[in-house]
Amino acid sequence: MSSTSAPLSAPLAARAGRASRLAGSPTLRFILRRVLAAIPVLFGVTLLTFVVMNSLPGDAAQELLGASATPAEVHELSVKLGLDKPFVTRYWDWLHGLVTGHLGHSLASGQSVASILASDLPVTFELILYAFLLSLVIAVPMAILSARRPGGIFDRISMVFSMSGLSIAPYVLALLLIWVFAVKLGVLPAIGWVPPDQGLGQNIRSLTLPAVSIALPLLCFYARLLRADLIEQLQSEDYVVTARAKGAGPWAVLLRHTLRNSAFGLITVIALNFGTLLGTTVIIEDIFGLPGIGHELLTAISNRDTPVVEGAVLVFAVVVVMSNLVADLLYSALDPRVRYGSNPK
Amino acid sequence: MSANGLSPTGSEVQPLGDGGGVAPTGAPLLEIANLRVDFHQAGRLVRAVDGLTYAVPSARTVGLIGESGCGKTVSSRAIMGLLPASAHVTGSIRFEGQELVDLPERHMRSVRGGQIAMVFQDPSRSLNPTLRIGPQITEAIRLHTDLPKAAAHDRAVELMELVRLPAAHQRFRHYPHQLSGGMRQRVMIAIALAAEPKLLIADEATTALDVTTQAQIMELLRDLQQRLGMALIMISHDLGLAASFADEVLVMYAGRGVEHAPTRKLFEHVRMPYTRALLDAIPRLENAPHSPLAAVPGQPPDLAHEQVGCPFSPRCPNVTDKCREQAPPFKEQEPDHQWACWHPCGLDERV
Amino acid sequence: MAVTPSDVTVPGALEAVTGPSVGPRSRLRSGLGLWIPAGLVALIFFLCFVWPLIGPVGSPTGGNILEANLPIGSAGHVLGTDQVGNDEWARLLYGGRASLEIALAVNALGIVVGGLLGALAAYLGDWRDAVIMRVLDVFIAFPALVLAIAIAEGLGPSEVHTIWALSFFSVPAFARLARAETLRIRELNFIAAAGLSGTGPVRTLVRHVMPNIVPQLMTFALLGMGIIIVLEGALSFLGLGVPPPAPSWGNMISAGESVLSVTPRFVFIPSIALFVTVVSFNLLGDALRSRWSQR
Repeated sequence: MSSTSAPLSAPLAARAGRASRLAGSPTLRFILRRVLAAIPVLFGVTLLTFVVMNSLPGDAAQELLGASATPAEVHELSVKLGLDKPFVTRYWDWLHGLVTGHLGHSLASGQSVASILASDLPVTFELILYAFLLSLVIAVPMAILSARRPGGIFDRISMVFSMSGLSIAPYVLALLLIWVFAVKLGVLPAIGWVPPDQGLGQNIRSLTLPAVSIALPLLCFYARLLRADLIEQLQSEDYVVTARAKGAGPWAVLLRHTLRNSAFGLITVIALNFGTLLGTTVIIEDIFGLPGIGHELLTAISNRDTPVVEGAVLVFAVVVVMSNLVADLLYSALDPRVRYGSNPK
Repeated sequence: MSANGLSPTGSEVQPLGDGGGVAPTGAPLLEIANLRVDFHQAGRLVRAVDGLTYAVPSARTVGLIGESGCGKTVSSRAIMGLLPASAHVTGSIRFEGQELVDLPERHMRSVRGGQIAMVFQDPSRSLNPTLRIGPQITEAIRLHTDLPKAAAHDRAVELMELVRLPAAHQRFRHYPHQLSGGMRQRVMIAIALAAEPKLLIADEATTALDVTTQAQIMELLRDLQQRLGMALIMISHDLGLAASFADEVLVMYAGRGVEHAPTRKLFEHVRMPYTRALLDAIPRLENAPHSPLAAVPGQPPDLAHEQVGCPFSPRCPNVTDKCREQAPPFKEQEPDHQWACWHPCGLDERV
Repeated sequence: MAVTPSDVTVPGALEAVTGPSVGPRSRLRSGLGLWIPAGLVALIFFLCFVWPLIGPVGSPTGGNILEANLPIGSAGHVLGTDQVGNDEWARLLYGGRASLEIALAVNALGIVVGGLLGALAAYLGDWRDAVIMRVLDVFIAFPALVLAIAIAEGLGPSEVHTIWALSFFSVPAFARLARAETLRIRELNFIAAAGLSGTGPVRTLVRHVMPNIVPQLMTFALLGMGIIIVLEGALSFLGLGVPPPAPSWGNMISAGESVLSVTPRFVFIPSIALFVTVVSFNLLGDALRSRWSQR
């Protein structure tokens, strides 16, 4: 069959067909709906931030110049920074800038907020990613082994362990880890972040203690969640009985059937967790001196550096909203009942 | 005493086997002797099966009939070794001469699905909703044969066609929710047949289906059974269904067998008052409209308590003091007809 | 803590955190499993609230600098003294009181305000529900700690302000849970029956809805005690919670951070207290929940 006999428009027509089907697809509409719903939330978040920042005593000019400055100097700087304009004007200006893609400049350093965030984001991102990987790598096998023999030795030990891990405050854990590994053993650094281009090994070393501080409570949570879900399936789902009736062994049942089904729920939880985790990173970055967004935010709040605060909070809020959206999407995408719809006979 | 009622499917009761035609040859395929299943639950002992004894000849259909909680499901799970850890099984279950009780789990696994297979009640919950049905069938195939993936795929499609699933090739990649209830049950049957079992246990296989589909599935089972020479244990609460499709019927009550006979003989000469009551409870077209349903009064006994005397005594119309004090033994009282009753219907002068 | 209440809207997450209802149902669970943590919690409360009033507990502040850094087991100072001479044991107890007071207040506000708000939103439905939830979403979208930090910065560190700051976090969380629970039971007939018999929305809410969602809220509150204590600790750790010299476990840990390599006990003593308290609340929440779900 010669390919030149096919009309040129055929691929285009096919693509157009697919596109129109996509536009009408319920998934896309779902995404659009959620994104639209998220916008007022984001708007609310930025407004709230502005309100809060505005009501904080003192202002950036004051902070910058310090206690020894005279009122006149402070006032002069205020005007220069545009802080004397009324609240509404300043918020509107900022919004306007946001819509046109500008996040403004730091009141403290003059650097563009966007570039500040751009240099901070990778650090925080790497930290969170590392923490997640660590937690999953441990939590999933732990849950599986527990579910294999509920009430057995491994299960009991891991339950005690996970209850303890959940009850430890991340900052306490961080200090404990520092004391053991940095002070006593001296194998891992207590502070500072080494960028990956200066040595991947060093980079990972500098992030290990912080990542573990975050990962431990997280993995305990995931392990418990997954274990509970697996056991629930093993005890009460009919398809588990069917699988056993086929002659499948316990590992086959566990891995091939129940783990698949639990994965959906777990992924959803992870996606939801992503945003709330950012709060924990704030304090961890502070303890370990990591130049991430959390640390930036803390500094900016105490400097009354509103544009930076707004920018950072906006990033946080967007991540939270996006992760909720992704969680919803993943859940519907992975559940074949939703994906394929009902089509009997 | 003729038992010409109408089964709930509306068709006339046609006992399949007369029990006297082709006598089963050789040793029975499955022999259950004095089976007892106890559950230890929260400090209580519940005796779900209390001394059950029966045999299933090869290529025959045995209908296991009883109310909910009479132990029919528990006993069949005991055959398959699918009871939870809290269950304690004593007695004997011999399949082709091999003792299944206390068989090490890894040996049991080759029996399960391979020699003895089971079809469950609710196909919508018995299939994994997140796996395509094809892989759920090939899983059963590959657990008991050495077929490589492609060959297993073909065999699965073969099986789907065997159970009369339309468009088998496409259906392979479908998810369970894309099929109707009847089709899902066919898939369950296909799974059960994957390794060509010698015994198929259908546990209320059609209860969750509508009446028409029920008839279709039962027809399919009967057809498959005859074609493949399988024995079939048909578990149901529907006596009428047993009447249409079983060669022999065993009626259970409170964890025990109470009456066992070839189908025709059972219906023509009902002995156990309980069986009589079950028969009477089937609605008949001949009855006057709005006549009350002859339901069996009372409740089945609480199996957590030790039973003295005949378990049916609180509800039995023939009851005497002897019944309450001494449990009647379950044994063959007429040729090929076993029952457990001091005052069986049709033989007792008082009735 | 990694687990925040917004996670618990995922089905089963609450159960998973406080302890799954699956697993060994030994006598240990129902008997000791409840009374041991309950006893511990009672003991902690006793030590922090009652004991300083009746027992030989010194003052948490105003210590003698000459008595600084005394080790554990010194005369008159069972747990030693801190860097300025304050008795560690006293600081531990008073610090615990501060932390517990804050946690109690925040959770109480959460249950009452958040619970009512969430139940109301679910009960009213339609646009009122949407509006309330949107507003709450804004607060939930804020990472918890950040919001608390900002408010604490704004109001200045103090115990009361910390309570306000943390309430902005707990009220929406409880509201979400209350709303989910109310939606679940709204379907139940007796709620409709109440409505049909002419009971007004508020009355129905209080008399019928609330009592049924309270068990879940209580379990959540117990879990929340642990979370809030940790959060308060975080705030104090950052210098934004209870202001020194008044002790709180968080600011004690923070003060100890700089001398971690020299005298680690300044960090570890309040940390252990914090840990034991959180574990006790978690275990208690677990035991109560499995009790209630067995009904």
